[in-house]
Amino acid sequence: MRIVHYLNQFFGGLGGEEHAGTALETRVGAVGPGKVLEQYFGGECQVMTTLICGDNYAVENQDAVIDLALEQIRVAKADLFVAGPCFLAGRYGMAAGALCVAVQNKLHIPAITAMAAENPGADLNREFMYIVDSGDNGAKMREVLARMAALAQKLMRGESIGSPGVEGYLSRGLIRDQFVERSAGQRLVDMVLKKFKGEAFESEMSPTQFASVPLPPAIDLASAKVMLVTDGGLVPKGNPDKIQGSAATRWGVYSIKDCQDLKGADYEISHGGYDPQFVRQDPDRLVPLDVMRDLEREGVIGHLHEEFISTSGLSNPLSNTRRMGREMAVRAKELGIDAIILTST
Amino acid sequence: MQLTLAYHPVNSIGFGERLSLAGTALTVSQEELRAIVLEEALIEAVDFVIAAPNDSLRAGPVFDIVEPRAKAPGASPDWPGILGPPQTAGSGMTHVLTGAAVTMLREDSSGDSRGATGYILEMSGAPAAGSHYSTLQHLIVVPHTRSNIPAAARQRAYRLAQLKIAVRLAQAAFAIAPARTEVFDNSDAETRAGLPRLAYIGQIFSRQRKPEADEHILYGADTDGMLPTLLHPNEWLDGALVPSYHASIGGAESYFYQNHPVILELYRRHQAGEINFIGAVATIASANNFDRERNTRFAANLAKWALRADAAVLTKFGGGVPHTDLSETARLLETMGVKTAVQVTDAARDHKVESALLFNFPEVDAIVCIGGNDTHWKLPQVERVIAANSGLAELLAGPIEIESHNVIGVANQQGASRLRSVVY
Amino acid sequence: MQITAALPVAKMVGANRLVLGNGIVHVVGDAKVSAEDEKKLRRKLVEQALAAMQK
Repeated sequence: MRIVHYLNQFFGGLGGEEHAGTALETRVGAVGPGKVLEQYFGGECQVMTTLICGDNYAVENQDAVIDLALEQIRVAKADLFVAGPCFLAGRYGMAAGALCVAVQNKLHIPAITAMAAENPGADLNREFMYIVDSGDNGAKMREVLARMAALAQKLMRGESIGSPGVEGYLSRGLIRDQFVERSAGQRLVDMVLKKFKGEAFESEMSPTQFASVPLPPAIDLASAKVMLVTDGGLVPKGNPDKIQGSAATRWGVYSIKDCQDLKGADYEISHGGYDPQFVRQDPDRLVPLDVMRDLEREGVIGHLHEEFISTSGLSNPLSNTRRMGREMAVRAKELGIDAIILTST
Repeated sequence: MQLTLAYHPVNSIGFGERLSLAGTALTVSQEELRAIVLEEALIEAVDFVIAAPNDSLRAGPVFDIVEPRAKAPGASPDWPGILGPPQTAGSGMTHVLTGAAVTMLREDSSGDSRGATGYILEMSGAPAAGSHYSTLQHLIVVPHTRSNIPAAARQRAYRLAQLKIAVRLAQAAFAIAPARTEVFDNSDAETRAGLPRLAYIGQIFSRQRKPEADEHILYGADTDGMLPTLLHPNEWLDGALVPSYHASIGGAESYFYQNHPVILELYRRHQAGEINFIGAVATIASANNFDRERNTRFAANLAKWALRADAAVLTKFGGGVPHTDLSETARLLETMGVKTAVQVTDAARDHKVESALLFNFPEVDAIVCIGGNDTHWKLPQVERVIAANSGLAELLAGPIEIESHNVIGVANQQGASRLRSVVY
Repeated sequence: MQITAALPVAKMVGANRLVLGNGIVHVVGDAKVSAEDEKKLRRKLVEQALAAMQK
């Protein structure tokens, strides 16, 4: 059986974040984790081609990368497409998921990837494909590759796939029916007794959470008080509030009073998810202070608030970000802010 | 209140000169049964068909399925409020022909949400495997009523005829020693001080529709204006309840009131000394928000304050709106410190978890989901199709695509379903 | 309102007003052009963002 494997710049051996802009490249045979992956197929499968692409390039040129990859997969006459594992790498996960779904839809061969549940690529794609739960620990690479191989073999053989817990994939949020031994009446009594006794029980269904955000009304810009917020992790040199670069639980408020232009020397970046060099050179590339001052001077906006808010959005679970967002909103309301521009990497 | 069920297993049904039970062989007299059915003036003619497990047979649309049972002389009455005065059901001895069923057909498809075929009885093949009814010996009753009569009157005739037959058949067992007996009695609450007090709250009707004229549901009353009420488990089991005529009820038959899966399971745990099965509440799903607030509070208050339940199990009757009453009642109970588990059908036509439930209360987190949107079959032609007219017979002959929602015994909201939703 | 290069995520979690930023590493910048052109680009993105808030 023939496999095509997709890796990002790091796992593909090109290097770190500085290579995240690399366009899609092709290698013959397996690279890095692909070599381990082959072992777990017990000699039945071979990686014919490895596709390597920089994380930024993949996200910024998703459609083109997909088209190129599909072509390579066709040429390789692949029976299986594997991407990652991506762990918590968000851009990698988004690209891997999008590629797998395109392969399934356009080439009708099995596709599999792996990433952590909090990876944004997971929520975007889990409904459409099997994503192995890799967790966030890259040290478990071998274990994750083994599970990917096991699940991929089932997919290739057309075997039925068991529950997420058993097979090790992220729940797809889909429902199917199954006949079971116990009647619904028996299951009800079983379940309520466990609940009453405080024992763990498995509910057969759970409600889902994404509440829609009501649209705030439009504003009059010329009189508006505007504030800048970023989740790109821009903090004053020394990171006084010790905002974590990943899964940040804190956010900071930083003065830009009388400042016309952010200077790289005054700031650093606490965010592991992107190459910081460009923002270090000129932080206005992330927090557009200079332009906002112009607009303020010209009267386009009423007033730019004298502080900006910053945190890191990297690998940040909803439980953190929902809370921080709410807290920031409270702060903004207290200050009488009319509008916020949130800049995100 | 003590109910004793005397079980007489039946393994075959045959036609003969007179009604008799010999061993496990039940013989019925078509002449006698015809006379009983024709007591209903609106029924002009009737046919009887016997179906056994594994027969290549399909029958429908089914009006109701009833287990043959007869109250011993001196016990509470048979089907009180329907066949006689509404005296309390649930005490004394009831003779039960286990393994048998009286299955009444409709003469037209019910339309509404069960479509052209209504509920189908399937005696063999994959759908049969999911339904308890395929394991029973059926006496199928095919009615022919006068034309141009109101639907309510026609269905009332079906109901009365069917219940009378079901009683008559079980009377064959009166003089015969039962294979075994079982006593249903939960009056020993004081001896169960340390055990969890469990209650059942079951919807018996949904005001998504008004009841038909003279429709029986609870002791012969149609539940119009009804408020939730205490109803002893024995009453549920012994003839106080029949399902509504309306087909869009998501699966409810008299058979599974008589053999109520939730009540029987609670009694089993009670008899095993695990719980104190403290009682049951019968409730209805409401037509509007105002009623819902009132009814759900009544139901919750009865369970909490009259029954002093520690935990409760809830089922619904009907479609989506009852979902809301169900979950709201459960939510109220949880706020009162009563743990709940609820049974729902899968609302997700798109197979997505985010569409499955019509409520989102964190405290209502113990959910049995009997699925149904993912299960369908292509039914082959069968040797015998039993229907009241040739049009229906042709429709049901097969091959025919059918959803699990339409197979009687697979779709069931009384707790009989062995289907469950699996999230993947 | 949000300026970001990763639109799908923002849409998924329900952001109502979105402007597509110019890449991940410099969402309101561009390292490949002159400083003057870059500032023009930045201004354009911010103006788009402000315009969105007037709807």
